[in-house]
Amino acid sequence: MPQTELDDVDRQLANVPPPVAIAFADEVRAVRETMAKLSVATAQEPPSHLRERLLAAVGGEARVIEMRPQSTRWRTAALAAAAAVAIGLGAIGVGIAVRPEPKPSAAEQIFAAPDVRTVSGPIPTGGTATVVFSRERNAAVLVMNNVEPPAPGTVYQMWLVGAKGPESAGTMDAAAVAPSTTAVLPDLHGSTALAFTVEPNGGSSAPTTPAFAELPLA
Amino acid sequence: MTTLAQASTLRGVTADLDALLRRVAEEDVEAFAAFYDNTRARVFGLVLRVLRDPGYSEETTQDVYLQVWRNARTYNPAAGTPLAWLMTLAHRRAVDRVRSEQSASQRESRYGAANVDLPADRVAEAVIQLDEQRQVTECLESLTDPQRECIQLAYYEGLTYVQVSERLAANLATIKSRMRDGIRGLRKCLGVS
Repeated sequence: MPQTELDDVDRQLANVPPPVAIAFADEVRAVRETMAKLSVATAQEPPSHLRERLLAAVGGEARVIEMRPQSTRWRTAALAAAAAVAIGLGAIGVGIAVRPEPKPSAAEQIFAAPDVRTVSGPIPTGGTATVVFSRERNAAVLVMNNVEPPAPGTVYQMWLVGAKGPESAGTMDAAAVAPSTTAVLPDLHGSTALAFTVEPNGGSSAPTTPAFAELPLA
Repeated sequence: MTTLAQASTLRGVTADLDALLRRVAEEDVEAFAAFYDNTRARVFGLVLRVLRDPGYSEETTQDVYLQVWRNARTYNPAAGTPLAWLMTLAHRRAVDRVRSEQSASQRESRYGAANVDLPADRVAEAVIQLDEQRQVTECLESLTDPQRECIQLAYYEGLTYVQVSERLAANLATIKSRMRDGIRGLRKCLGVS
């Protein structure tokens, strides 16, 4: 049903006597169970990299890096991320379980957004970049899997590409490009793509090399 | 992926998804991985059936499981089984994507003519030896062709009832009753109370 009709149904359900609402809910439940059983008929194995990507996305939340264009703040974030990794991955599961009701992280808020979308693409030198983003939250989470670290003296720089051209979204140095790296892009500026270039250490104010990868944010 | 391995994955669905989902709600990554392994073929298969494009289907499947990760605590056992909750989520995401992405006609030209391979046919040639699949196949075959066609268009193609009636040049009341009878038939055949 289109959304307008669904809203209509909700409105009408709010006004019917309870027995009717219960009967309706029961009918909906039965249809859902039927269709769930039917799903065995179309079952098909997804590619195995999807599993890695998903686990990196949910497991990586514990060491999310907040990316800022300014290099000093970025260095602090990179240090914090390195420290988080040093504390040990094994502790993450326990750490999350006993944490007292944390404020949802930026990544959590993006994952929870009703309009959350995922785009991913291969990096020519190996590995995959995945962006999970929400227009409503105006933010994105970038997950890099098995990406080769940049050559010594260089960094990877992320660019949000919009109508006004590319705008830096932060850099990643060799230390930041772990087997799986997660980073938050806190402001999408209405951009339509996320591009990656190789830049000298510290990053550049505008791209100096052609993008080696680009993900459309649509 | 051999048929045998897939069979064991599918059987695993009966494993305690309920308990896994409760642990996922507590952000247990291991439980999330197990929940994914037990359900991934059903979710990806349904999404692929609706979207037809492997790339979009991967992305949408990922979105579905991210939603599972974030919203596991909102699952209400009284409202149905975890599998029904999950497949409803997956179906909704896939249909949303179809509707937002492009019109049905563009989709057909892009992925070739939308050949109407009814799920019944797919199952028949694929993994017939599975009890559950055989049962589902038999149930699908027990429907009349028009009933199956309606369910096909509404569920897998994501068409609204009005669009189904236009596509089949039948009036809306006829379509609604075919859908109702078809689903009722499936429900009874599959033993859903």
